[in-house]
Amino acid sequence: MQPNITIFHCINTFADGNFLPVGDNVNCELNMVKLPCSGMVKDVFLLRAFESGADAVIVMACPEGECRHVEGNIRAQKRVEWTKKILDEIGLDSRRLTLVNISPGDVNSAIDAIQQTISSLADFIPNPPATVRETAVA
Amino acid sequence: MIVGEQKTIAEIKEIIAPYSRVLVLGCGTCVKTCFAGGEDEVATLTSALRLAYNKDAKQISLEEFTVERQCEDEFIQEASAAISRNDAVLSLACGAGVQAIAKRFYKVPVLPGVNTTFIGMLEKHGLFTEECLGCGDCKLAVFGGICPIARCSKKLLNGPCGGSQNGTCEVDPETECAWQIIIERLTSLKQLDNLKKYIAPKDWRSSNAGGPRKLVREDHII
Ligand code: SF4
Ligand code: SF4
Repeated sequence: MQPNITIFHCINTFADGNFLPVGDNVNCELNMVKLPCSGMVKDVFLLRAFESGADAVIVMACPEGECRHVEGNIRAQKRVEWTKKILDEIGLDSRRLTLVNISPGDVNSAIDAIQQTISSLADFIPNPPATVRETAVA
Repeated sequence: MIVGEQKTIAEIKEIIAPYSRVLVLGCGTCVKTCFAGGEDEVATLTSALRLAYNKDAKQISLEEFTVERQCEDEFIQEASAAISRNDAVLSLACGAGVQAIAKRFYKVPVLPGVNTTFIGMLEKHGLFTEECLGCGDCKLAVFGGICPIARCSKKLLNGPCGGSQNGTCEVDPETECAWQIIIERLTSLKQLDNLKKYIAPKDWRSSNAGGPRKLVREDHII
């Protein structure tokens, strides 16, 4: 089964991440969620992505100092750190949630981040657990 | 406002373990402001619990609901239907809210999801500080509006203690010395003479130390 990765991205990073030319070298199911600013990302959105079956979640935000809304990317970083603590408390391994700073339109860095995430997935227990996956498929 | 902090997920899991249908009930006033138990925190906690149960391959039914204030019957009533659909209520209100629900729904187990910590204020976004101990005999007029009972580590009424350093408390350098602030404020109000009077030891009978308190307003009781 292909890994499932959800990406929350700011529209200033990519107007529409669905057009990322991931190609054949990225073997996963991608769900893109675009936000007016990465600072709109919240703990509950990130957790719900995992509840919906994401194996990993990446938040793509503009580099520090380049947020159009001044501090949206810093807020996003803080929310990601907060949610990582919740994931660790649950025992789901917080490494499956990452934030990467990407300059507007830097497609190569985005694809690198996705590839790195896919290769790190082998280290984590699956989410959701295999039993839940099978029930959902059936 | 009442300031509280959500319990750890591990503790909450333990508390709700005996039940299979749990209502996570938020309070939209104090605990919402301190990010412990408003609608958003109800949603986040419920999602985290579902993930935790999923991971452990365990089943639970969790329902979310938030009322404006859990300490008032008028608002509590709105949750009646949701409460009756569940085996237990996990309340994210302060202790008053938990007990108000328990009083009204006598046969329903009501469990606390929050540790109620203090009466305080929002100093800046994300920072809450303790300001009042609810002692029942307010003397803020003497101290320039700064409470030495709540804010001085030694609760000194005739301070300072002499250990204050550069405006910080000797007990905890992260805390401002309440007496430094009292003196600065009384100086600027030209009321420093307030401190020439000896302040007698506090009579704690007006506080919770004298047992649970009641407030009666006859003009509102029919
Ligand atoms: S139940 Fe507690 S937290 Fe909620 S409004 Fe009343 S005092 Fe505030
Ligand atoms: S240093 Fe200031 S706040 Fe701390 S105990 Fe002494 S008087 Fe109180």
